[in-house]
Amino acid sequence: MTAPAVTAEMEWEETLLPAGSVPAELEAEVRRQFGAVPSWVARVAPAPWVVRAWATMVTQPVAHLPPGIGDLAALVVSQDNSCRYCFGAQRAVLRMLGYREAYIARLERDFHVAELSDAERAALDFARRMSRADPRPARAERERLAQVGFTAPAVAELAFVAAAIVFANRAATLLALPPDPLEQMVDRPLVRLLRPVIARRMRSKPRRPEPLPEPNEGPFASVVAALEGSPAAGVLRRAIDGALASPVLPRRTKMLLFAVVARALGCTRTESEMRAALALESLGTADVEGILATLASSRLDARETRLVPFARETVRYHRIAAVQRRMREVARGLEPAEIVETVGLLALANAVCRLSVLLDAA
Amino acid sequence: MAWAAVVALLAALGVHAWRTRRTVGALERRLATARRELEALQQAFERFAPAEVVEHVIAEGVSARSEKKEITVLFADLQGFTELGEGLAPADLVTILNGYFERMSRAIVEHRGYVSKFLGDGILALFGALDANPWQTNDAIHAALAMRRTLADYNATLAAAGRPALAMGVGVHRGPVVAGLIGSEGLMEYDVIGRTVNVASRVERLTRTHGVDILVTEATRAALDGRFRLRPMPPVAVKGIADALPTFAVEGFDGGATAP
Repeated sequence: MTAPAVTAEMEWEETLLPAGSVPAELEAEVRRQFGAVPSWVARVAPAPWVVRAWATMVTQPVAHLPPGIGDLAALVVSQDNSCRYCFGAQRAVLRMLGYREAYIARLERDFHVAELSDAERAALDFARRMSRADPRPARAERERLAQVGFTAPAVAELAFVAAAIVFANRAATLLALPPDPLEQMVDRPLVRLLRPVIARRMRSKPRRPEPLPEPNEGPFASVVAALEGSPAAGVLRRAIDGALASPVLPRRTKMLLFAVVARALGCTRTESEMRAALALESLGTADVEGILATLASSRLDARETRLVPFARETVRYHRIAAVQRRMREVARGLEPAEIVETVGLLALANAVCRLSVLLDAA
Repeated sequence: MAWAAVVALLAALGVHAWRTRRTVGALERRLATARRELEALQQAFERFAPAEVVEHVIAEGVSARSEKKEITVLFADLQGFTELGEGLAPADLVTILNGYFERMSRAIVEHRGYVSKFLGDGILALFGALDANPWQTNDAIHAALAMRRTLADYNATLAAAGRPALAMGVGVHRGPVVAGLIGSEGLMEYDVIGRTVNVASRVERLTRTHGVDILVTEATRAALDGRFRLRPMPPVAVKGIADALPTFAVEGFDGGATAP
């Protein structure tokens, strides 16, 4: 089946936000990262930290993960999350990198029977379990990866890559991004002719191991520390810090959204961390417990009253159109920057809470 | 002569290549169709069992894999429907019953419940069975209240058509169950078993004793949002439970019209 035929069957609503202008400096940053400016940047630009987080997280900042696995994991996770935008774009990326259409189709059909090494198959299985997080992948599953040859830092990076795709999937799905032009571009004769050259530029290059970012303080420092030795640690730290420093939504609202996603994913560590942080935002233990138990409270402001119950709906969704319609309802009356920041926070919360499995003892 | 043989050979090879290509094309199209059907089937199955169970069945076939989980069980039953049915033509009876099931199922699904089965005129619905759901009990009671409102609307429709009104009892209990693929080789379904299901059924029957439409157990009440208005009912001895069972009638929700 051709790419358009596969994606045409995927449920998807009209895009939520129009494309806007992108500040030149931000555009230059993204161009340095990607070598081009992806189509989503113009819709996400109202909240620059989301652009930076997305651009740096999905470009696989890894030093230990064997090459190629991240690209395949991105396809499998995007397909599992039914993200029409990411799935179509990643399909095009794989074709650009030289993967045959028939091979991609076999991967989509069932990666368990595609021509993969045991290590690749185990990695894709783990990436998908990270994405589903129901139940959270146990330590034994990480140990199984070690048995097929993955080092501990490579396992952590694989978890990061899966979490980064979870981030992109949620951002693209909640904003209902239109298909990436790359999908059409890949079939153009000139692009096909130049494909080997383009592929060389596109192929993610292994980076050098990096020490933990300094300082690694504030929320989720332990999750960042679990990526020690990987460039992903710095990328994640900067994404979190960017999210928390943004002036669009109050810090309290951000913590509440993280706490709800943590509760939905059974991520007790993040939930505890957010409870402690919310106490500093004048929400006591009983208030927070009440909010997390009922997703409502007279202590919430009007915007939080809409956003807090919606947060749970971003964790697992069976009907893409339903969650996109709910997003549209929630976004009514909000400014573009508020919408994009909400989406970015929910996407980041989903990624961080899933990534926290690296800290689970059992 | 040799040239003619070469040309003939090339022509034959060309025809063979063309036929092979056509066959491969046809096979690819059939494969693509089969894949679409399989995906549609998989998506459909995921409405009846957790994705992980569906995947396990596809990869390894049906097996006795099961797990213990805490869920909220909602049991609904029509009161006096058997007697009501005796005065109706079979076609009318089925139409009324199907209209009821259709509406109640929608109310349950809209609140993240899963309709496990219809038992005569009863409905067994599960919350937190397919996906982990920390808000499962609130969702179940929001569903029960939506069922109450939906039944009132349906009764108005039935009355306008000169048909008798329906009365419903709903029992809700939260507790552990064993979930898995249960049945015989010929008929298997994702189901839950355990005392929790029996208690929900017993509680539903108590709605007749107490003259209310929605009753919940203490375990359900303990997990509920405090904004649900509950009225304690006197404990009643029920079959299979040692102590008299305290229950609570659900009167309403004070948190606004929309459920989270």
